[in-house]
Amino acid sequence: MKVLPTTCPACNSQLKAKSLVCQQCQTEIQGDYELPVLVKLSTEDQLFILDFIKSSGSLKEMARLMRLSYPTVRNRLDEIIERLKQAQNDEGNTEEKL
Amino acid sequence: MSEIKNGGKPAPRRSASQWLFNPFRYVAGYEALLLGLGAILASAFIGYFGDAHFDGVLDVHIGLKAPLWVFVVECIIDWLSLAMPLYIFGLILSPSALRMIDVFGTQVLARWPYLITSFVMLPEANRRFSAYLMAGLTSSEGFGTLNYVGLCVFVLASFVAIAMIVWMVALMYRAYSVSCNIKGARAVITFIVSIVGAEVLSKSLILLLLR
Repeated sequence: MKVLPTTCPACNSQLKAKSLVCQQCQTEIQGDYELPVLVKLSTEDQLFILDFIKSSGSLKEMARLMRLSYPTVRNRLDEIIERLKQAQNDEGNTEEKL
Repeated sequence: MSEIKNGGKPAPRRSASQWLFNPFRYVAGYEALLLGLGAILASAFIGYFGDAHFDGVLDVHIGLKAPLWVFVVECIIDWLSLAMPLYIFGLILSPSALRMIDVFGTQVLARWPYLITSFVMLPEANRRFSAYLMAGLTSSEGFGTLNYVGLCVFVLASFVAIAMIVWMVALMYRAYSVSCNIKGARAVITFIVSIVGAEVLSKSLILLLLR
């Protein structure tokens, strides 16, 4: 499966979705859709967040299942939080420019 | 939830190099505390038989005979003298909600190379050569006849002891960085400040203990 691009390869600005297609009947909807902030994270980070939710938000449980130490998992979560904040800031800055 | 595998990737392979230089990726908290306490108590016990005193955060010296509890307390002072300032720096600088048990647990486990040092200090020839050196340096008659076997054992033991110190410091730094989530220049500077302060503190406390 192809990775969803989130930034413009030419100017590095945030991309938006312009059209959505129904795979069943081929109906196409055109518009100006903002990408959710979670989509802007790497696939690895998104899978980590999914696992974290499935573990009921328990870092201890995540550490046990991933066979890593608690602080290693906590540090990874904190890094993702930082990236999320950065993505939100970038989004805000782009809106201000427009 | 058994399908969770490191954020979609296969569970990490635990390579020998990671176990040697960054075991804290896998072990922290109570597990590290128990393993580390076992290692420092064993070091103290073996050190007792070889008169090897761990009389400072980074020190190991062949010294006077003493009761077993002195060796145990020396090891505990060494551990706490460094873990305390690192924990305080962690509370001030860490962007994460750190756990005390991780800082103290990983720091005590980082001291495990001294278990190897305590074995290296065991040979009688090493102790005899240390005594010969001390006598030569302190008496007015100077050095007596050189025992080459003793010299070789002493040089070898010193080489291994220095290698263990370097390895232990590397482990201590990794333990600090992982348990407090502090990296880069801030981590290096606060670690150096802590280790210098801990060396002074541990030496002072051990001197008070032996007084």
